Amino acid sequence: MPIPTPFHDRTAALCTSYKWADWAGYFAVSSYNLPNDGEYYSLRHSAGIIDISPLFKYEVSGADAVAFLSRIMTKNIEDIPIGRASYCCWCDDFGKIIDDGTVYRLDANRLRVHTAEPMLAWFGQFRRGFDVTLKDLSAQIAAVAVQGPTARDILQQVSDADLEALAYYSVATAQLDKLPVLISRTGYTGDLGYELWVDNTNALPLWDTLMSAGKPYLLKPFGLDVLDIARIEAGLILNGVEFHNAAHCLIESQKATPYELGLGWTVDLDREPFCGQRALKAVQAAGPRLVLVGLELDWDEQEALFAKQGLPVQVHPGAWRSGVPVYDNSGNRQIGKATSGTWSPLIKKNLALASVEKQYAKTGTRLKIEYTVEYQRETVTAVVVKMPFYNPEHKRR
Amino acid sequence: MNTSTNNAYDVIVIGAGHNGLTTAALLAKQGRKVLVLERRSTIGGLAASEEFHPGYHTTGVLHDSGQVRAQVVRGLDLKSHGLQIRPGRPSLLVLDPEDQGMLLSNRERRTTKELHFYSPEDARQYRQYRKFIRHVAGVVNRIFDQLPPATDSPNGRTLWDLFKAGFALRRLGRSTMLDLMRIAPMCVADWLNEWFDNNRLKAALAAAGLSGNFAGPWSPGSAFNLLLWECAAKYRLEGGPSSLIAALEKAFFSLGGEIRTDSEVNEIQVEKRQIKGVVLKNKERIKAAIVAASCDPRHTFLDLVPANQIENWQQQRIQHIRGAGTTAKVNLALNSPLEFNARAGEKITFARTGHHLDHIEKAFDACKYGRFSDDPILDIHIPTGSNPDLAPAGHSVVSILAHFVPYRLTSGWDAEQNEKLGDTIVAALERYAPGVRDSIVARQVLSPLDLEQRYGLVQGHILHGEHALDQLILRPTPECARYHTPITGLYLCGSGSHPGGGITCGPGALAASAIAQI
Repeated sequence: MPIPTPFHDRTAALCTSYKWADWAGYFAVSSYNLPNDGEYYSLRHSAGIIDISPLFKYEVSGADAVAFLSRIMTKNIEDIPIGRASYCCWCDDFGKIIDDGTVYRLDANRLRVHTAEPMLAWFGQFRRGFDVTLKDLSAQIAAVAVQGPTARDILQQVSDADLEALAYYSVATAQLDKLPVLISRTGYTGDLGYELWVDNTNALPLWDTLMSAGKPYLLKPFGLDVLDIARIEAGLILNGVEFHNAAHCLIESQKATPYELGLGWTVDLDREPFCGQRALKAVQAAGPRLVLVGLELDWDEQEALFAKQGLPVQVHPGAWRSGVPVYDNSGNRQIGKATSGTWSPLIKKNLALASVEKQYAKTGTRLKIEYTVEYQRETVTAVVVKMPFYNPEHKRR
Repeated sequence: MNTSTNNAYDVIVIGAGHNGLTTAALLAKQGRKVLVLERRSTIGGLAASEEFHPGYHTTGVLHDSGQVRAQVVRGLDLKSHGLQIRPGRPSLLVLDPEDQGMLLSNRERRTTKELHFYSPEDARQYRQYRKFIRHVAGVVNRIFDQLPPATDSPNGRTLWDLFKAGFALRRLGRSTMLDLMRIAPMCVADWLNEWFDNNRLKAALAAAGLSGNFAGPWSPGSAFNLLLWECAAKYRLEGGPSSLIAALEKAFFSLGGEIRTDSEVNEIQVEKRQIKGVVLKNKERIKAAIVAASCDPRHTFLDLVPANQIENWQQQRIQHIRGAGTTAKVNLALNSPLEFNARAGEKITFARTGHHLDHIEKAFDACKYGRFSDDPILDIHIPTGSNPDLAPAGHSVVSILAHFVPYRLTSGWDAEQNEKLGDTIVAALERYAPGVRDSIVARQVLSPLDLEQRYGLVQGHILHGEHALDQLILRPTPECARYHTPITGLYLCGSGSHPGGGITCGPGALAASAIAQI
């Protein structure tokens, strides 16, 4: 049975839907209310707050902390300046992705790594030859994300640090209403947003501080269901959906290289050896077979399929991650798979993240995606579009 | 600084044990410029003669020198360098606290005669047993004297070798071939129970299949070890293992080789998975395009090779090699000859305790749970029996390998535990040789931890990793089984490679032939 997070007393009281999920062994709210449109629109038009404590958190310190992580990650951690955060992934020896997460360079020799899956054992096996201490802080640190266009305004009221000065993907320590927090300008919604990391004992006071500061802005807590919609709009991949930890895969085709996930930019090949380097060099030279793309589904064709059954068009409530085949435009040859998708209330379109063969990845390419109406398996046209689907200017401002 | 000429070699061999010296000498014979680096101040490793007390010398940590490969002796002309190799194993006295024990003579007829006294049926069976060993020895030895099969990229040559080995096996006859396949995963106890009745005989034979391993008589796969030893152990060396080292050293020097003692390698230098040379503890760099490491593969890959120069999965494999030592060494300096009350007046040079399979298994039980038995299994060698010069006149040296002494002692190894071990072993010996305690001039006790620190044996394992079915032939790991490694120019040439530990020179010779092919 899952266990409560440090924010549970507050989130449980608000979770009127009783819709909970198990996130890494913790109770996590799926939706506070049903329907959850309110949570979504708060997030996109004002701000939302989400408990992200179940993330795994590791502190890496010591004289070789940076070299140690550079050995593990596909990115050269040396390149991350102090006070910056960076999105990273890491692979096995064969260049197949294990997990992704964020690395914070807190100091010259002190870093924080946040991962989706437990990684103490994986990281630990690279310790040989490095002067490094690896600490699992997962159960000691609580975290919330405040995301949305007014996130900064809300936080600035209670923060002693100037948040205007905290650039995109930067990290700093601050006092929020006298509570010491680590604050990073990061998130998983594709919006302006911050993630706040505190000691467990400060979790509830922090929540209360944020909720009262957010009151004039109609700050609302949101659950994983809305997060899933937001992350697809932002074109962000998810472990267990867009890719699978290679260590858990049963067959080769379930594994993926960073290149085919659109993470080629996180791979720095020409440097000291890192895990998977040799294999990734070969993959890069040959070019990936598959490419992650964003798809927009043709609305008129969806409407027509429903009409054929004598029904008005319906949209799937929330995001889906069941996975469906993607065909070429003729509909005859399967050229990939869509791993997750959602109706975007903001863009007013059905969107999907898909992994397709390289030659079908160009923006504007017309493909067919499986679409089932009344148990009839059909296809509709899906066009490859630029990602992220939703990329507001205020995200980086 | 003049480093260009003196500081570059064709081949650097790490470790001057019998395998390292074999590889070095065979490559020097090819005309290569070879340097052997030894971390200790004496060469020889587990076969080194050492003065453990002023005036008292051993002939090596290990006793059994009967498995030295004939092709090495021939190939390096070791006889002309002073090696005296005799056919037949040394006689072995199996001690029994109850009576006069049993002598397994190096002459089969004498052994069967002795066995006849206890059981005519066992004597008959013993002749059959020896016949079976002679029948299969040729084929078994051939498999263990050639390069293991290339599992990574089988080519025409390996397929041919496999075919030949398979064909040779088949030629033994269908029933023998099937018998070999049946025996391999068996335990010694079951296999020997099929042959014999007499407990002492079974215990005496079983020990050779267990020596150095974390395995008791009822551990699977031990029958295969016994079979290998029975097939390979054919000789005895005059002067023991250290005489082999002396001959190898002479041969190597005569071929222009160079040995540096007190030269501990700190790092094997690798760039882009290519060998560049080595760096010593004193920071000196020595260049070479080929490095052959005779140390335990776990030391080679986990201490010497930089972590980022091998793939993680390869490192994992090396880390998972089973090999926590189960052997301790005790050297005794006596002011009199050692006499066993069972054979008063007889000159015994090799003796062994363990008179019943259950006795051995019980000693192993203790080891399983991190203790050593009160009644340990002792391999006793009295080198002064054949070479009195090793001790002052009238005095003797007793060299004891105590089995089933765990590296991972629950209480941890310290001076107190060493003393306790020494006392236990002397007390056990006292049971067979009353009065020995009073004639002890000096005693040296080397726990598995001491063996690790002194000889660089990882976890004190005298075989550089268990001789278990899964760790033989494709030894130490499939990708390193043919002596080359994922690092170009780095070769393994020690007991951690096929055909395994013990004083055979086999890994050293096969590694040299693998290196010679490039």
